[in-house]
Amino acid sequence: MAKKRRKKIHKDAKWPRVVSFEERDEVLSFWEERFGIPKNVFEGYLILSTSKNYWLFAAPEEIKPFQMLKVQTVGLLFTRRVSHWLKPTSTALQRFGHHATKNIVVLSPAELDRLRRERKMPFIVEHIEEGYVILKCGEKIWGCGLYAKGSLISFLP
Amino acid sequence: MLSLNEARTYFERYQDLIPDFEGFLAHLKEPLPLYFRINELKCPRPQIVLDGLARQGVKAEPVPGFPGFYRAEPRDFPLGSTEEYYLGYIYPMTISSALPVFALEPEPGEYILDMCAAPGSKTTQIAQASQDRAIIVANDRRLDRLTALVANLKRLGVACVMTTLYRGEQFPFGVPFDKVLVDAPCSGEGRYRQGYEGELLYQKEGHTNLPAIQKGLLVRAFDLVKVGGVVVYSTCTFNPEENELVVDYLLRKRQAEVIPCDYPLPHHPGVTEWEGKILHPSLNYAARFYPHETNSVGFFVIKLRRLA
Repeated sequence: MAKKRRKKIHKDAKWPRVVSFEERDEVLSFWEERFGIPKNVFEGYLILSTSKNYWLFAAPEEIKPFQMLKVQTVGLLFTRRVSHWLKPTSTALQRFGHHATKNIVVLSPAELDRLRRERKMPFIVEHIEEGYVILKCGEKIWGCGLYAKGSLISFLP
Repeated sequence: MLSLNEARTYFERYQDLIPDFEGFLAHLKEPLPLYFRINELKCPRPQIVLDGLARQGVKAEPVPGFPGFYRAEPRDFPLGSTEEYYLGYIYPMTISSALPVFALEPEPGEYILDMCAAPGSKTTQIAQASQDRAIIVANDRRLDRLTALVANLKRLGVACVMTTLYRGEQFPFGVPFDKVLVDAPCSGEGRYRQGYEGELLYQKEGHTNLPAIQKGLLVRAFDLVKVGGVVVYSTCTFNPEENELVVDYLLRKRQAEVIPCDYPLPHHPGVTEWEGKILHPSLNYAARFYPHETNSVGFFVIKLRRLA
């Protein structure tokens, strides 16, 4: 089992920015186009942004009073911007991945074990486009991988 | 650390308070059973967890009255190193610790403050109870404890929580909270039993005035909640000075009413008199839970409404 890693949180974190309608649509379109997860799955959630990260947060009736608070974290780390690409986080895939209809790589327990150990392994599979994929084993969604050039790379924490 | 044969002397002052005192002392020799909660935000079907644990030799039985809670055998099994834990499908948590959130009755859309939240068992329980739709502020005054809370929120895939690092008694005004949970730091007497690794804070840190801290937290919680809103105050200790006397202080200072609650575990009314001091009569609506009757940790829970 993986070692528990705990990332330190910043003592002086700032309130993340609520993204514009266009930016929200860009992020949700990525989830829809890449994994077939409909945008309405995220209805009732705000998307917030810190430098390169998007966070999902249950939308309050009015956000202003909460913005007066000095916060450490807000919501669930949802999607990251990696150079020009958007990348889903494993935790968000574990939470919402069961709505997905495509780009799901189903691994046997032995394959999953190897991937978690070696982080990268040769892998050829049909009906999967190159790019970020959902790693699944049985009914369990494990998180995010990258499928490219006959290889599967693990982004599992 | 208090050894088991000192327990009688230590708990003697509660002899008239704790029902079947001898049974209580005998029960302290039993280790705490292992319980966990399933996180339906992530786990597609409870059976996946039950089958997965069964393959590792763990037998899990549902706990009557506690939806989503299971008792696991063997009780020393390291649930924290299973893939069910890693994937955020389960949260190990003793059943009496779930009672404050039962009293809170969280609903989607409500603004809820969890004032002393880390490491997050109750915060995540509130999130689940509201289907991830309450707006929860999870506060703790210590950064290291808050870091553990943030790790648990991520592990369970909770999106409706923001975390803050204030001293509870100085939490800023401005958010019209519907509900506030004060699961106060306490001496932890209710957790004490054989194999208990912690320490009884009340005895150990003579310089820490826990009741004073608890009063500060409760009064602030009351002032933060909107009129008509709910404050739940809980501890895992038997000591009336940390329980009824703290709430008595609030009832004298502010306009609050105690709301009776139903719980799925045997409990006893709060005390209305302690060491010669007469307390507010409505404190009998508080609930006291004892380990030998609940097979869990001793707890105190009271639900209050702000009247003005």
